[in-house]
Formats: sequence, structure tokens, C-alpha cells
Amino acid sequence: MSAYNQQGDPTLYEEYYSGLKHFIECSLDCHRAELSQLFYPLFVHMYLELVYNQHESEAKSFFERFHGDQECYYQDDLRVLSSLTKKEHMKGNETMLDFRTSKFVLRISRDSYQLLKRHLQEKQNNQIWNIVQEHLYIDIFDGMPRSKQQIDAMVGSLAGEAKREANKAKVFFGLLKEPEFDVPLDDEDEEGENEEGKPKKKKPKKDSVGSKSKKQDPNAPPQNRIPLPELKDSDKLDKVMNMKEAARRVRLGPECLPSICFYTFLNAYQGLTAVDITDDSSMIVGGFADSTVRVWSVTPKKLRSVKTAADLSLIDKESDDVLERIMDEKTASELKILYGHSGPVYGTSFSPDRNYLLSCSEDGTVRLWSLQTFTCLVGYKGHNYPVWDTQFSPYGYYFVSGGHDRVARLWATDHYQPLRIFAGHLADVTCTRFHPNSNYIATGSADRTIRLWDVLNGNCVRIFTGHKGPIHSLAFSPNGRFLATGATDGRVLLWDIGHGLMVGELKGHTDTIYALRFSRDGEILASGSMDNTVRLWDAVKAFEDLETDDFTTATGHINLPENSQDLLLGTYMTKSTPVVHLHFTRRNLLLAAGAYSSQ
Amino acid sequence: MAQILKDMGITEYEPRVINQMLEFAYRYVTTILEDAKIYSSHAKKSSVDADDVRLAIQCRTDQSFTSPPPRDFLLDIARQKNQTPLPLIKPYSGPRLPPDRYCLTAPNYRLKSLQKKVSSSAGRITVPRLSVGAVSSRPSTPTLGTPSAQTVSVSTKVGTPVSLTGQRFTVQIPSSQAAVKSATPTTPTVQNVLINPSLIGPKNILITTNMVSSQNTSNESNPLKRKHEDDDDYDNL
Repeated sequence: MSAYNQQGDPTLYEEYYSGLKHFIECSLDCHRAELSQLFYPLFVHMYLELVYNQHESEAKSFFERFHGDQECYYQDDLRVLSSLTKKEHMKGNETMLDFRTSKFVLRISRDSYQLLKRHLQEKQNNQIWNIVQEHLYIDIFDGMPRSKQQIDAMVGSLAGEAKREANKAKVFFGLLKEPEFDVPLDDEDEEGENEEGKPKKKKPKKDSVGSKSKKQDPNAPPQNRIPLPELKDSDKLDKVMNMKEAARRVRLGPECLPSICFYTFLNAYQGLTAVDITDDSSMIVGGFADSTVRVWSVTPKKLRSVKTAADLSLIDKESDDVLERIMDEKTASELKILYGHSGPVYGTSFSPDRNYLLSCSEDGTVRLWSLQTFTCLVGYKGHNYPVWDTQFSPYGYYFVSGGHDRVARLWATDHYQPLRIFAGHLADVTCTRFHPNSNYIATGSADRTIRLWDVLNGNCVRIFTGHKGPIHSLAFSPNGRFLATGATDGRVLLWDIGHGLMVGELKGHTDTIYALRFSRDGEILASGSMDNTVRLWDAVKAFEDLETDDFTTATGHINLPENSQDLLLGTYMTKSTPVVHLHFTRRNLLLAAGAYSSQ
Repeated sequence: MAQILKDMGITEYEPRVINQMLEFAYRYVTTILEDAKIYSSHAKKSSVDADDVRLAIQCRTDQSFTSPPPRDFLLDIARQKNQTPLPLIKPYSGPRLPPDRYCLTAPNYRLKSLQKKVSSSAGRITVPRLSVGAVSSRPSTPTLGTPSAQTVSVSTKVGTPVSLTGQRFTVQIPSSQAAVKSATPTTPTVQNVLINPSLIGPKNILITTNMVSSQNTSNESNPLKRKHEDDDDYDNL
């Protein structure tokens, strides 16, 4: 707990603050909004300084006098702050310590800054100037001062906004090229054409995605930027299935909304803490507060485990259906329960090849389960504190986990220690997601920011601020260009990854948004929340007409249109069932999951 | 307590929360005060001082209420970790799992050989018990069978599941295990090892093996029989 050294006389802190307040309130309208950003960080830092230097009574009166002036979205922080009255209270609170040592970033236009500087450099305001210099980082931009609305959209995080150069690194947001396939056409696809009984000529159809773009997409990462596992035969079969399903996919849009199928978990007694659905929508897993992980099969095909070694030696290994024969019919059931964790399971994730399941829990471990034997294979110990979320990479093999220790870790299934540690957040990492090209990881945190990390070297390439509460859901658009985020403030924010800007705000939900998902081709964004509704938004319209000229990117100004109502395509209520998970099937049917709570 | 919850801004809570918090507060305060009493008596003071209480709190926080590492430490280890390039992936390597000793895939049993024992005079029957400093919340059904001197039959499962948490059993693994190669007139017996790593985790097992005196080794019938609890069995429960 180093230098929180005395800046001036503690009893005069109230004077300094009210002096500054007076100055700002008397300044010109156009500057006032920007300069008002100073209030909150100065208030907190001055209060913490008084507490740290053990001037309890001054701290108390300082708090009483000025805490009502702060913006409404800082109320939660202020409440936590009001309980910190002694120096000892600060010791255990890592978030407060981080806040103390990091500089709060403010983005102010040059004109407003000149005004402020001139005022503070007057002799009687020297103390405040020292405090400002020590605790605040003022990122100056040339241009028009921002309006209150613009500022309100971007502030809210624990460390202020993001510096301009934090969002300048090049991000490869394009998708990796899919391998080319020969897709044999089905008989049923050719039914209409061959009524005369002519011999059917089955032309192999080339994968259209691969052949169209021979050139490398400049925004896509090179194929071997990070090592990815090779495609096995079973993966290739899976991809063929995927393409066949994609051909039958419903094209969604404002006129054609998806049907929603809701899976309600009954008798969960508020114990359902995590849900995941496989990509082909064949299995659902639920993580529960009683530390069990339950896997259900939602297709008529039951869950089977592999035969014991003795039986396996008896089967004919050369037969065509050997993959069926290794499964033990006696163990077929619709539900499998996996025991092993010693705390509530907060995150679950299926592997893309449906062989493995990950679960992370409050006991600090991430467990890998085999879905062929339904036993636990590995426990990855690294976080020693509750792990809030985990996810497999879209290509398998890698997975990311984020927890209470404020870092996210990248693991590979065959290494017992993490490969990358993404440190930088000021508070717990509550949500972790892979980008579709597996080269970047987005982490949402309780410090109200979202950071985008590069898997190759662990650098933070983007910082997105704007939410006013801890982030609980993230979704990448299928084309990899955009990110949607939802938090406890009930807003869904849309971000352009390439430019590092906020491009949309969807207001409508009244409670925490726990689930966000784009449809398979990115036309519709579905959001599910604690307010028992699922809302559908028009993603195509939200992302078109982006003002991405140089001026906007240079200054980071955004002018968000108030078009939430136009973008909202539908609101669907459930019967007192908060929505925990959303999933679009390969044919664009929306599946939703939640636990019925009788309140 | 209700006032505290209100001050912290928590409006919705189950009524049991207050009871649990009261219990916690009581337990915490008594532990601290007891520690403080010990410290003050160690310092030969007549009464408990504020300093003693402060010291007691400090020691307890390091023990039970640890907080995550500080930010600069995290940034430091992150920088170190992130410098190593991502390892290349070997193709065609089957299920990609860490080395076996970091997995939970080890068998939690060892097979015993079915040996017909010659009846011995001093057929001392030792009831096998396993010494485990285990913390496992998973119920298991250890079967303690009393073997007969002649046959080595596997006893059937004992009905009630017994939780392994906190119970201490002692196992006597006869030293014939080590001395199996020495010339003993009777056929050597392979001992069962009652280890269940998948339940407990390899680090949590303390097995104390008491050396049994040598004259009994050859006379001991295989005392340790523990039915292997297959993981699959749990699916059928």
C-alpha cells in the first residue's frame, strides 16, 4: 500500500472539492459536460486518501456532503465505498487497491482541457492540481467537446474510459478459411428432378464458401497464426452434416422471425447455474449449485457410454459400425449425472466434436469430462478462486476460463498449466468467449469493461467501456466483425471490433441480460434476461450505415441513434422463468433454456 | 444484521441468510477473541489489548480469508507466461490429455490374484482399514470383508454408503508385499491397495502402512478386500 501520500490539509479537502465544483458549474455549457467527468474519480480518490491516512471524521463528512452529486450509475460503487471507513477495510479489497494504483482515464477535448488547466494552475488551486495529476490520466483529443449524452454512453467502468491508443492495435477479425469439401448430394435433394426414372447423376457439389474467395481476406488472420488441431475424419463428417443442414436453414429477417423452443428446468430450486447446448443441438448440459453436472440427450438417441475393456476386446474391430458397437447398450439413458466438483458449477461448455465437456466451479477447478465414458478426465487447477465462466474454442483443443482472481487463462486440453494468462481487469472476470477464428478472446468483467485479448501473445488489443454494471453475456457475430455485450444494467451494447467503437445500444430489458446469441447468418440477435423475456433484435439494420469515417475513429465520438424500438422485432415472455441460455440450431430454430422459479 | 444488509443495498434475501450470517459473525468473533486471549497471555499481559485483537485478526485473515494476488504480480506472471510461444500440436495423437499423473484417469483399484490359501494355524484376521486424510464429498461404499483363512472370496457390497469425508481408517499392509520375493513357503499374496484416486485426488491421500511383524506375514490370508467402485455404477444409482 504505497504512496497515497498526503496532498494538502485534510480538513481543506471539502473546500478544494467544492471550489472545483463551483468552477465547473459556472463554465460554459459545452464544456460543462466534459468537465463534470472529473467529479466522480476525484471524489473517490480524495475520499480514499482521507481514509488511508486515517482521517476518519473528515472522510465521513466529505462523503456525506458530496456523494449525492455523483451520477446515478455510480451508486453501487458509492455504497461499497461508504462501508470503507477505516484503513484496514481497504487492505483485503483487491479491486479498491487496483483502483487506487491505476489512473482513471478521462477523455476531454483540448479546449475544455485548456480551460481546466488554466483554472487549476492558479495558486490557490495547487492542491487539486496535484491530486488531478496523480490520479487521473487525461486523454486529450482535438475536436468538438462531447455532449452529456455521448459521454454517458461511454463512461461507467471502474477505470474510466479507454485511452485512444488502447484501441489502435490491428485486430484480425476475419474468419479462417474453411477447407474445401466435396459434398455428395442426397437423393432427397434431387427428388423433383428425376421423376422420369432417368439415372440420377450425382454431381459432387463443391463447398461454395471455399471456392469463392481464393484471395486471403485482409482482415483474416493467417491460417497458421496460432496452432490449431487438424481435422479428423469425424470432424469432416460433422462439417458435411453442417453444410447439409445449412442448405435447409431458414433465412431469418424482420418478416421471418425464428420459432423459439424453450427448455424449462423444473424442480431445480434455483440451483441451475449454467447451461450449454451442443452445436448440433443434440445434448444439453446443466450445471447446478449442488455441484453436479447433468447431461441430457434431447434427441431420441440416448446417451451411451463405452463398453468396459473386457467387452471391447470381444468386438470385431474391422466392422463398419465399430463406432456403434463400442457403445454399451446397457448404459443407455437420457440423463447422465457427473459428480466431481465440490462447489456450484458456474460454467459449462461442450467441445465442438461432442467428445468432451468442460465445467468450471466455485471450487477453483475446471474439469474435463469425457462424453464417451461419462467420467472425469482432468481437473485443471490454476485459479484458486471461483471460476465464473469457461468455453471451448470453436476448433476444440483450447479453452478459456475466467474467475474471481481477475484473470482469464487460456488452456489446452493436454497441458496441466495454462498457456496464456490475460491479466488487466480490475475486478472479477465474469464472462469469457472465443472469437469465431479462435485468435482472440473477449472477457467481460465486474469492472464494467470488455477486453479483447490476442491469443498469440496475450496482449489486450481492445478495451470497451460503456456498461454501467458487471457484464454477464458476450456474443460474437458469425462474421467476426461485431461483438454484442449484455450486463446487469439491462442494455445490450454493440461494438465494431475493427474500429474499436460502440456502434449500437439496445434498450428494452429491465434486468440483467444473461444470454445473447446471433442467428447462424447474423441477421437476428436474440437476448434473454432475468426479466423473464427473450427479445429479438434486427442485427442487419443495427450494423448498416456505420459512420466509420476518419474523424469518428480518431476521436472516438459516437452518435448513437435512439433506434432501439425500431430494432426490436419481438418480445417473448416466459412464465417466471429467467432465460439463462440461448442457442440457434443449424436451421435457425431458437432454443432457450432456463429454470422455472416460482417467485 | 438486517440493518447491515439494508446498508449494503441488498433488498432481496431469504430469511435464513440472517441466521447464517449471525452464526458466522459469532464464530468469527469468538475465534478472534480466543486467539487474542492466547496472544495476550503469551505477552504476559493481564488483560486482552486492542493490539492483541489486531494481531489475531491479521493472522486469521492470512489463513482463511485470502484474497487474490495483487495486480502487479498478476501482470508480471502474465508477461512471463505469455512470452513462451504457443506449443505446436502433434497430429494424430488421439485424445489430447495431460501426462497421466495430472489426469484423473488412473485406475482406482489394483487386481488381486485369486490364490487358494493353505490354512494356517495363527490365522490372524486383521480387519483392513484405510488411512485417508481425505476430503471427499463423494459418497463411496467401502466394503470391509472379514476374510476366512482358506478362501479368498470377494464379499458383497455393504448396503449403506459411507461418506469418506473426515474419517480415518488405518490400513495394515503386511510387509510381505515387499518381501514377496523372499522364499516363503506359502504362496505370496498380492495385497489390495485401497486407493481411490479418482474420488480423492492423488495429493490428498495419506496412507500409513504399518509393518507387520514377519512371523505373521506368511500366515496372513489376504485381509484386504475392497470391491472396486466403478464410476459407471454411479450412473445406475
